[in-house]
Amino acid sequence: MMDLLSQVVANGILLGGLYAVMAFGLALVWGVLNIVNLAHGAFIMLGGYLAWHLYYIVGLDPFLGLPITAVVMFALGYVVQRGLLNLIVRGPMFNSLLITFGLEVVLTYCAQLAFSADFRAINPVYAGHSVSIGTVVIPVVRLAAFAVALALTVGMWTFLLQTRLGRAIRATAQNLVAARLYGVEPRHLYAVTFGLGIALAGVSGALYGTVSQINPYIGASLTAKSFAISIIGGLDNPLGVLVGGLFLGIVESLTTLYIGPTYADVASFGILVLVLVVRPSGLLGKAA
Amino acid sequence: MKPWRSKPWRIAALVLALAAAAGVPWYGSDVLIQFGINALLLAVLAQGWNIIGGYTGYPSFGNSVFYGLGGYGVGIAMVKWGLPFAAGLAFGVALAVIFALTLGVLVLRLRGHYFAIATLALSQVMAAIVSNVPLADRNIGLVLPPLNNDPFFYELALGLLVAATLCIYVITRSRFGFGLIAIRENEESAAVMGVNTTLYKVLAFTLSGIFSALAGGIHAYWITFLDPDSAFDISLNVKMIIMAVFGGPGTVFGPLVGAFFLSAVSEFLSSEITSIAGLFFGLVIVAAVVLMPRGLADAIRNMHPLGWRYFASNVRAHRL
Repeated sequence: MMDLLSQVVANGILLGGLYAVMAFGLALVWGVLNIVNLAHGAFIMLGGYLAWHLYYIVGLDPFLGLPITAVVMFALGYVVQRGLLNLIVRGPMFNSLLITFGLEVVLTYCAQLAFSADFRAINPVYAGHSVSIGTVVIPVVRLAAFAVALALTVGMWTFLLQTRLGRAIRATAQNLVAARLYGVEPRHLYAVTFGLGIALAGVSGALYGTVSQINPYIGASLTAKSFAISIIGGLDNPLGVLVGGLFLGIVESLTTLYIGPTYADVASFGILVLVLVVRPSGLLGKAA
Repeated sequence: MKPWRSKPWRIAALVLALAAAAGVPWYGSDVLIQFGINALLLAVLAQGWNIIGGYTGYPSFGNSVFYGLGGYGVGIAMVKWGLPFAAGLAFGVALAVIFALTLGVLVLRLRGHYFAIATLALSQVMAAIVSNVPLADRNIGLVLPPLNNDPFFYELALGLLVAATLCIYVITRSRFGFGLIAIRENEESAAVMGVNTTLYKVLAFTLSGIFSALAGGIHAYWITFLDPDSAFDISLNVKMIIMAVFGGPGTVFGPLVGAFFLSAVSEFLSSEITSIAGLFFGLVIVAAVVLMPRGLADAIRNMHPLGWRYFASNVRAHRL
């Protein structure tokens, strides 16, 4: 029984790392631009398809293809923010929810027309390999995806804390007017931030394609999960999101094992509601 | 003032429009009646959302929970207990009221995005819980006794919409309505002015839930089938929000106009360009938010003096 438990917890941790990268992009955009991007999951889905095509059409290894996915998705995000979302940023908060929902619908339909509704999975040759730690068996692909997720989180954290651009992004999140006075050009900066968020979504979609399956409709539930994690972890720092992701991954795995797979969503969203009601700034966030 | 803008003319026009709508089962085709039932129920949902989202300023994503509870109230009462339809509706409304009172107190403490997401999560939780409840036949869903009487459902839906609209009209002229608007504009100030904000918000949430539950109950009996995925469908909630916001949230007739307009557009699209109808619907939403962020009602009011510059002025006002 102990073996089963540790295996399930290990699965949860590996899944949670991936969840964290998904949520990271959403939390970044939310925290800096104050836009809750309902199309986030759709961008994750697009990233997954991009990686799938890179692997099966171009023949590029899914992990080596990650930088290309990131760059392409960054460009897409930049254009969407610069050309569309910048037009409504100062409008009522509700309009940003509506427009990103509209975007979600458009992206989902485009994906359905372009890629059909079939399930796709990225299965590199080493997909069947796994390593054992004691009695716990860990598939190599999941371990690699987890490692990438960790590296991205740490990398983004350093980027936000140490670089000039990262500081500008954090400054804008705190006070747009003051940041403007110090020479930050908000149109460009907003577009860069959104691009970074979408690049993270794209990379997490590529990773998701290697450990699970993608179809045009996975977006909505992934957006909901990203929400939950951002709320649990708070919007302040990537570390919170990482903890939130791991937490959700473990809770989902344990619920599936002990209560039943149909209750996995009850657990994760129930926790979300509880956290919101008890501590609206997130479990790890600063008090509002 | 132009004569057709005076009150008696407006009332006469409304009565005429209502009579024309009520007469549809006598002169309309079956297709039109069925389209009408759908559009009317969606309009009821948009009006229900209008109370909590439009007037009180709490963007609820949990109204589809009420809709689902209303449907399951009817389903369980009719299939499991053999009760008549009316008793089922009452049971559904009771479920919705209990839900609104207990959970409303908790989630209405949150604001803005956080409220939206908490209610969104609640609807997911409810769908998952219902799909595990034996009384609701879990994932399999309930099959209700069929009643092939579309005119009955049509008139019922129309009556419900009239009741919802009247209710909103009365609210906007009452102390309660002013309290809700005060909460939307500035909750702290409203509290300082002596508005019992918690009570008002919970009441608005409950009222909004009652109409949504009734719409859900009627829809369930009409379609004669219920399952957790369709009853607690989150996209339905998004639909009612879009209709209300498109028409003009916080107005008496805006959500109604928005619901009819968008229902007609989506019906037209799905009959003309079946494969890309959904894509086009998404584009309409995106364009509407950019070009007329304050809804159709505002656009019609201000279109005349400004012309196409109305759209440009909207973009200029909200861009970075």
